[in-house]
Amino acid sequence: MHGAFDGLGRFAEPWLLVLTSLADGPKHGYAIMTDVAAFSGVRMEPGTLYGALSRLERRGWIRPLDTAERRRPYEITAAGQEILAGQVKAMQQIVQVARLRTATAWSA
Amino acid sequence: MRPGLAGRLSRFLVGCHPRRWRERYREEMLDVLDQHHLTARTAASLAVSTVSTHLDPAWRTERLSLPRLRRAALISAVVAAPLALILGPVGYGMWQDSYWHPAADEPLETAAFAPHTGIMVTAFGEAIDGTDVMWDVTDLSRPRRLSQFEGGQPVALSPDGRTVATITYSGQAAIWNVTDPRRPVELTTLSNGDGSQLEELAFSPDGQILAAAHYDRIFLWDMASPARPRLLGTLDAPATAPEGGGPIPFSQQDLAFSPDGAILASTTGTDQVTLWNVTNPAHARRLAAIGGLGDFIQAFTFSPRGNLLAAVTYHSTVLVYSLADPARPARTATVRGLLTRAVFPSGLPRPSETPLCAACSGLGNYAVAFAPDGHTLTVVVDRAEMSANSGRDTIFDWPVTGSGALGSGTVAARDVADFQPVIAPGDRTVLGSPPGSHAWHAWPLP
Repeated sequence: MHGAFDGLGRFAEPWLLVLTSLADGPKHGYAIMTDVAAFSGVRMEPGTLYGALSRLERRGWIRPLDTAERRRPYEITAAGQEILAGQVKAMQQIVQVARLRTATAWSA
Repeated sequence: MRPGLAGRLSRFLVGCHPRRWRERYREEMLDVLDQHHLTARTAASLAVSTVSTHLDPAWRTERLSLPRLRRAALISAVVAAPLALILGPVGYGMWQDSYWHPAADEPLETAAFAPHTGIMVTAFGEAIDGTDVMWDVTDLSRPRRLSQFEGGQPVALSPDGRTVATITYSGQAAIWNVTDPRRPVELTTLSNGDGSQLEELAFSPDGQILAAAHYDRIFLWDMASPARPRLLGTLDAPATAPEGGGPIPFSQQDLAFSPDGAILASTTGTDQVTLWNVTNPAHARRLAAIGGLGDFIQAFTFSPRGNLLAAVTYHSTVLVYSLADPARPARTATVRGLLTRAVFPSGLPRPSETPLCAACSGLGNYAVAFAPDGHTLTVVVDRAEMSANSGRDTIFDWPVTGSGALGSGTVAARDVADFQPVIAPGDRTVLGSPPGSHAWHAWPLP
């Protein structure tokens, strides 16, 4: 992975980006890559993408749909939605605390 | 990495994943690769994926066991052993080759030109060995390297640019066909009969004669058929002690043909230049000896019309001789002490002076040439005692009259060569390898 958001650290974890991409509907591999690049600036390479897809699939957070020609779409499962929601909530909490503390520190 | 190569490598790496992984993801992965802009990063990510999936127990089809590992090790050894036997010596040979034949990683030592063809050959490396490089110098400011071969040095290039003569490791002359300068082909080696070390080579202006100087003899070869040179004659040119005494120096032959090819000039590492009438090379004869200089001749050249001969001595004296009567050369100009008149670009530290003495070795390297119109004589002096950290050369120019008298000269300094400077014919350019540089550069003369 490589891009303008390289400093995101765990916020740019491939599995999290893939789950986020699938949150609004099923997508096949290349569509996920372009979507992730569009909303995060992170350019995933195919090796990274399929490493994440295989782990997510094994954990039951995404599921493959029927193949259209060679393209296989993936959709997020209920378990995946739950995990994503939990992650978003944790991240929001981090963001909220960070905002509060930076605002306090800078206004002092 | 080129996109085509990255693509091929990426597709190959997809096929290197475990079988179960391939059955599941191969087709869709290839579909992604078809749409994706493939780069070296793509291939790198797939290489990581290949390794990680092989290590992932979920994708292994069989469990690793000791017998399986042993079998894998045995198969690897069977495959690797012949490869190691073949590639090991090849790799060692290549390393040796690059170690002993460093090509352009060494300072320029010798260069020969075929001016009308735009071809130049340079030699690098130790005196007893050397790598030769063919160049297209149609534009000297943008030389193009054409090929490289292990011929040795010094080198001579026939005026038509089709034949190169080199001195091999064993001291013999090797003849190379460079009609296609990108693919030099060795044609033959010239035997001198007694195995003595060859010192210098020169082609006649028409390319028909190759003069090969040994310690005390010069062989003249008929080069009408470069693959089968024919010995035309032998000239006795014994090395003699300089006038005033002193030991006979180690032979340091130098050779040059006059522009019309009628005269061959040679030195034997002494204070003497011998002129030979080679109009009939099979019956060449001594014309005259220019001697009594009390100083070894380091470099000499004919004027474009062949009526003058200019020489530079070990202790930096410039001498000009008129060859109006080649049997009785007459000195027309003498300029002494070029080394002490060497100048330095302003702002650069002047090195401590080294007393000039007969016992001092390696005082300077010289290049001498007349301008194409014959009206200017140029000498480039590389001061050896300061060259280790400077490479600043002094360039002397004198106007020359038709009779060989020198007018008031000009002096300029350039950071040119850290070793032997070479003056290119025709366009007032000097070649050299500056200090710290492992390539030669072309410098326009002021």
